[in-house]
Amino acid sequence: MDRNSRLAVLLVAPLLLLMIVGFVLPLGTTAFKAVDNPEVTAALPRTTAALGQWSGDGLPDEAVYAAFVEDLLSPQDNRVFGGLVRRLNFEQTGMRSIISGARRAAEGLQAPYSESLPALNAVWGEPEVWQLLQTHSNPYTATYLLRAMDLRMAADGSIIPVDPQQAIFRELFLRTFIISLWVTVFAVLLGYPTAWFLSTLRGRAEGLALLCVLVPFWISILVRSTAWFIVLQREGPINAALLATGVIDTPQAIIFTRPAVYLAMVHVLLPFQILPLLAVMKRIRPDYVRAAASLGARPWQQFLLVYLPMTMPGVAAGAVMVLMLSVGFYITPVLVGGLRDQMVSYYIAYFTNTSINLGMAAALSLLLLILTGLLVVAAARVLPGLNLGARV
Amino acid sequence: MMMAIRIFAVLVLVFLVSPIVVIFPLSFSSGEILTLPTPGWSLRWYEDFFTAGRWLEATRNSFVVGGFTMVIATTLGTLAAFGLNMARFPGKKTVLVILSLPMVVPVIVAASSMYVAFSAWGLTNTFTGLVIAHVIVAAPYVVITVLAAVQTLDMTLVRAALSLGATPVQAFREVVLPLILPGVIAGAVFAFATSFDELVIAIFLTGPGQFTLPRQMFAGLREMLSPTIAASAVIMVVLSVVLLLISEAARNYATRLQGGARQ
Amino acid sequence: MTTQTSTRALLVALPLATALATGASARDLTIVGFGGGYQDTAREHLFQAYAAHAGIGVTDDVYNGEMARIYAMVEAGDVTWDIVMVEAPDMVRGCEDGVFAPIDWSVVNADKLIPSGVHDCGVGATGFGVTVFYDTERSPEGPKDMADFWDIEQFPGMRSMRTGPRMSLEAALMADGVAREDVYTVLATPEGVDRAFAKLDEIKDHIVWWTAGAQPLQFVGSGEVEYAMAYTGRILRAIDEENMPYNMLWNTLIYSIDFWTVVEGSPHTEEAMRMIDWITDADQLRNQAAVWPISPANIEVNSDPEVQAANPGMVLNHADTGLFIDTEFWIEYGDDLEARFAAWAAN
Repeated sequence: MDRNSRLAVLLVAPLLLLMIVGFVLPLGTTAFKAVDNPEVTAALPRTTAALGQWSGDGLPDEAVYAAFVEDLLSPQDNRVFGGLVRRLNFEQTGMRSIISGARRAAEGLQAPYSESLPALNAVWGEPEVWQLLQTHSNPYTATYLLRAMDLRMAADGSIIPVDPQQAIFRELFLRTFIISLWVTVFAVLLGYPTAWFLSTLRGRAEGLALLCVLVPFWISILVRSTAWFIVLQREGPINAALLATGVIDTPQAIIFTRPAVYLAMVHVLLPFQILPLLAVMKRIRPDYVRAAASLGARPWQQFLLVYLPMTMPGVAAGAVMVLMLSVGFYITPVLVGGLRDQMVSYYIAYFTNTSINLGMAAALSLLLLILTGLLVVAAARVLPGLNLGARV
Repeated sequence: MMMAIRIFAVLVLVFLVSPIVVIFPLSFSSGEILTLPTPGWSLRWYEDFFTAGRWLEATRNSFVVGGFTMVIATTLGTLAAFGLNMARFPGKKTVLVILSLPMVVPVIVAASSMYVAFSAWGLTNTFTGLVIAHVIVAAPYVVITVLAAVQTLDMTLVRAALSLGATPVQAFREVVLPLILPGVIAGAVFAFATSFDELVIAIFLTGPGQFTLPRQMFAGLREMLSPTIAASAVIMVVLSVVLLLISEAARNYATRLQGGARQ
Repeated sequence: MTTQTSTRALLVALPLATALATGASARDLTIVGFGGGYQDTAREHLFQAYAAHAGIGVTDDVYNGEMARIYAMVEAGDVTWDIVMVEAPDMVRGCEDGVFAPIDWSVVNADKLIPSGVHDCGVGATGFGVTVFYDTERSPEGPKDMADFWDIEQFPGMRSMRTGPRMSLEAALMADGVAREDVYTVLATPEGVDRAFAKLDEIKDHIVWWTAGAQPLQFVGSGEVEYAMAYTGRILRAIDEENMPYNMLWNTLIYSIDFWTVVEGSPHTEEAMRMIDWITDADQLRNQAAVWPISPANIEVNSDPEVQAANPGMVLNHADTGLFIDTEFWIEYGDDLEARFAAWAAN
């Protein structure tokens, strides 16, 4: 490396280092947490070691039972057992009370434990619970990623759908994608004529119209979502206006519905569609369209055959941006949508901040990341030179 | 036909600004309920904003976090932009990908990942953690704007200054800086705005001791929906417009500068 | 840079730097609750009174029962909350999971508490509950009981309930005609759970779910919903202090006791134990009871006829018409029902 390159590296290094430690590393942690499975081994080290020898047929021998009781009696931190109990209960209902019951009674148990444990609770005399422990002695698990697709692993290792009453995530990803797609379609349909109109303006009118796009663009998503939250209330301005004009005769519940989510999201994301379109349209010289006209093309032909193809890069650039941002939207649906209008982001926040399941949060994050990554890669294929540096 | 499209476009523009415009009269309402027409006018909600401790404290926090984010992100981003512009080096492509990651990763994924990692490092519920996170999401924009400015920089001017006996530092201060300043300012404004508007990361990383203005608004939407929310929204709108004007001014200045250099 | 500009830069940077630094300095003892009028009065009569009594700094925060925050804090060893008020099932589970420290019963006097207010990791704080309420001006003929709350024919309009299975499933069974004393027996069977969810299905399109205690009050106040289930304290405050024309249905009461807990790994653990003992003493609670209808787990105060007479809104005054939340049931079935509720509510 020459002196210049060394200096260049030195200049880039501080920011790069910050990005790697503060961003890439956390993302890596998330990816790891989606498959990490430390709980069972941490709480039951002797049992998992003993289960390593077990074939999985019938019942394990006394050595495994004895190791298990020894683990239960070991002066472990409650937190380690808490982790175990939550982990197993997530795999199988009822494990919380089964494990906690065994731990409470462990001190009074007499050898041979392969008799006294099943006497305490019959499940210890069945192979399933031991298979479960053996499966999760593995330091890695596919549980979270499977569950994020409404699948689970049965005791025999086959992959089966979860109980329909607990199925949620396939529908959720589908909904996220559908909402995002519709928002993108609306953004294109509203944005295209608007951008064209802006590109025809000159002088003061252009400045004013551009301001109508740039000001919302610069105002935070929260403020714009808040505005919709206020505007859409039952006794808010929209209902008041509709009542006053006689369109409706009783106030309608608009907020916390899907249409409210569409309305607010399209509003928030529309500038991302208009601005790249405008940039493309401003570069098109009117000569082309005029040439087409002089060759006898009708107006719709001029549009379809000349103008539209030339503006497609703008449509695509804006649409990719809108789609990408929609897929990860959080604030707007949370504020103006109901529980049935939430997207994947809501559940990432839910599993991180409310429910206690970082594995699920990580798995959903990873899938969302992959989904977004695919969109970006697809977009880069279609549109070389795509600039994603617009304001988010 | 054309007329219909024009009318349609004007309606879309109205759609874009109207919800923002509507909150202005609401914030000056004398009533407790957020509806139009307002029963009368008053400044009571602004008074509430400027006298209720939590709003003012949140505003202060936002400025502190935004200020630090701006300074750090602009410094690191400008350095990196120079480095990227200066020379090829092995792995440059990878570096570019890493630096642009925060712009493509969904913010919720970034926020929840940083939350998990930062809490292991004791950085949650601290201003330091929030500033670090904001620098990470803001710096890529600084890199982009400064890089654009640096790329148009005419290096012969620098060489001329050096050959006339200027020290590298002098050459940078007297020649380079004035030329790239608009780009740096635009980047800095952007960094400040990014931090000032940011909510999702703040939700994950802050406790009530570090509430920023957006975080306080978000809490307010659930805790006490009073027109104070509208007032704070108006205040944020005004600030955003000021930032927009600064950034546009910097851009115009840059365009004129480049025009001047060409002549 | 000239000296002048660098001085100016320093002047700008200094206050910023100090502002940042204070975030990292030693913090006050932090006590966290569910907010609302309860916490406003507790702040004065319990928290700050203790701060003055013990000569320490005490700050309080509000949360909505998000246990994940507490678990994350303990896991990371970065405990920023010291004392937290939690609902009983969360307290017992958190105790099993090691996120709450064992109560030092040599510091806290157990004799003053009702028996159900004494737990390894929790000290009974106050009873709390939810009931249905509505605005009598908007709906002069409101619902009379839980079955009416479910009756969208006779009482059209939106409802609001607390997000989550706890209290919602009980309410559904009450509305379906299950007697109070049988609710948990029914809910402990798979058919009972199905029955509760089927009942919830009937009004699913008419429910706006809330997470923060202030939301249902705001929804009813702004006309967004007609009828809501909300914390009794919040409803009483709206009636008494803001003169809202609300009617609350005590026969829809679903109630329990909240506990004071100390977060495991808190740097203020010893102080926290002393504080919990002090704020559950009769004298302090009488002061709070004078301004707020608390139902403390302190025997002397909650059985005091004078306190009861002065506070008709005490949850424990309405125990005979209310459903007491079964802590054991929610420890046993909580995880599952939460998963099922999340899936149900999302689709």
